[in-house]
Amino acid sequence: MSVRIVITSGKGGVGKTTTTASIGVGLAQRGYKVVAMDIDTGLRNLDLLLGLENRIMYDLVDVTRDNDPIPYKKALVRHRKYETLFLLPTSQVQNKDAIKPDKVEKLCNEMDKEFDYILLDSPAGIEEGFKTAIKPAQRAIIVTTPEITAVRDADKVIGELGREGIDDIKLIVTRLRPKMIEEGDMFDMRDINDLLAIECIGQIPEDEAVIKATNRGEPVITMEDSMAGKAYKNVIGRLFGEQIPFYKPPKDSFFTRLKKLFGML
Amino acid sequence: MEDIVKIKGMKAGLILSFTRGAKFDEIRANIQNKLESGNSFFIRGTTAYVSKDTLPTDQIEVLRKMFHQHGMLFRTELPKIKVENPKTEPIKKLPPEEDPQQMIVINKTLRGGQEVRTKSSVLICGNVNPGAQVIAGGSIDVRGTCRGMVHAGAFGNTKAFIVADQLIPMQIRIADMIARSPDKMEKSETPERASIKNGHIVIEPITR
Ligand SMILES: Nc1ncnc2c1ncn2[C@@H]1O[C@H](COP(=O)(O)OP(=O)(O)OP(=O)(O)O)[C@@H](O)[C@H]1O
Ligand SMILES: [Mg+2]
Repeated sequence: MSVRIVITSGKGGVGKTTTTASIGVGLAQRGYKVVAMDIDTGLRNLDLLLGLENRIMYDLVDVTRDNDPIPYKKALVRHRKYETLFLLPTSQVQNKDAIKPDKVEKLCNEMDKEFDYILLDSPAGIEEGFKTAIKPAQRAIIVTTPEITAVRDADKVIGELGREGIDDIKLIVTRLRPKMIEEGDMFDMRDINDLLAIECIGQIPEDEAVIKATNRGEPVITMEDSMAGKAYKNVIGRLFGEQIPFYKPPKDSFFTRLKKLFGML
Repeated sequence: MEDIVKIKGMKAGLILSFTRGAKFDEIRANIQNKLESGNSFFIRGTTAYVSKDTLPTDQIEVLRKMFHQHGMLFRTELPKIKVENPKTEPIKKLPPEEDPQQMIVINKTLRGGQEVRTKSSVLICGNVNPGAQVIAGGSIDVRGTCRGMVHAGAFGNTKAFIVADQLIPMQIRIADMIARSPDKMEKSETPERASIKNGHIVIEPITR
């Protein structure tokens, strides 16, 4: 039996694929057998983030088509380093109708025995691709940035998921910029939690390491010294119910505080 | 600081007035800002009124263009107060079996894009999030935080009221009156109640 988790957001470009890649690796590091499915047909890039683009033979369209479909095992791409992590890529061709929600659900049922986790990387929006991605899912991870538009969209998506009967929904907030939040230009975690009222399992800072990781095709969770990498590591722990406090960036060091106290700064 | 552009919600639309002595550039920037920030008062299809003797014609025309660009209507003369409220139109679709004396209970948080419409009163055990709507023939009681759009007395019952543990909605409508949220949202510590008094929507703290 597999646990099927959809990673979704509403608003685009908030870090769903980045999150899917890192969670995929994180679960594989713990020894689980994981398949990460890219449902963002036409705009695929999970393969890039996992550094597997050159190994793709078949894709989701080939596997789910009506005539003469390819067995899914042929389409799976094994990760070079984490051998229990697989990618099921989607098609590069923009044809949203090519993939039917029912077919993807059936495919997940087929893969059920083989994998511990099925991760579904959803496209932005709440249209077909989104519906295809959530149909097979039992759980959801909502990704948002601390911007009002992203948070509002996340709220809508939570409503949609509820309608589909998915009520195990966790939150990951990405691209946190402590400075902007401090200055009141962005929502802080309290505002977000207040509004969305679902359990938060990740606070990922804005971090250049994410871009480096993307370019190298190595999910940022593997960059263990980076802030974002650590934050994603903690996400994995919290997925398993471990009590991990959220990292608070230090504001002032003890000495600067002392100096301020004595009027030296 | 006082807002140089004052907005009053009326049956017919929004009446705008400006602080005496305010510069036109400031007024224009202020309105532009409100239009672009998605101010929930400035809804597409709503009419904005600016009395024609408050500003010179060329400035009026500048404003007209701005509102038109945002899908709003613009007038310089108030209509005779008789106008049908276009907002009452969808109410025909309401389920006929309910009436304002009854109360329906919603046991969840209403999220953005979700809507409750009822002829009766409604009790919501949960929050009403921004982008959610509650339209009720009777009163609305939110046992949680109300941030969405709430319309009580949607059939014209001016005695209807709205109560919430935290009442910080985008917009409050009672019967055919509209009040928008203040620009600076302050969380109230006590439950509050909105009702019509002397022809205005007033909000008062209450104890449950
Ligand atoms: N924590 C972060 N710090 C810095 N950049 C980030 C972070 N998270 C994501 N990004 C960047 O944001 C961009 C969008 O990320 P990603 O592709 O993961 O989002 P997405 O939600 O999958 O987008 P889409 O909706 O297009 O599928 C990428 O360029 C990525 O490198
Ligand atoms: Mg993506």
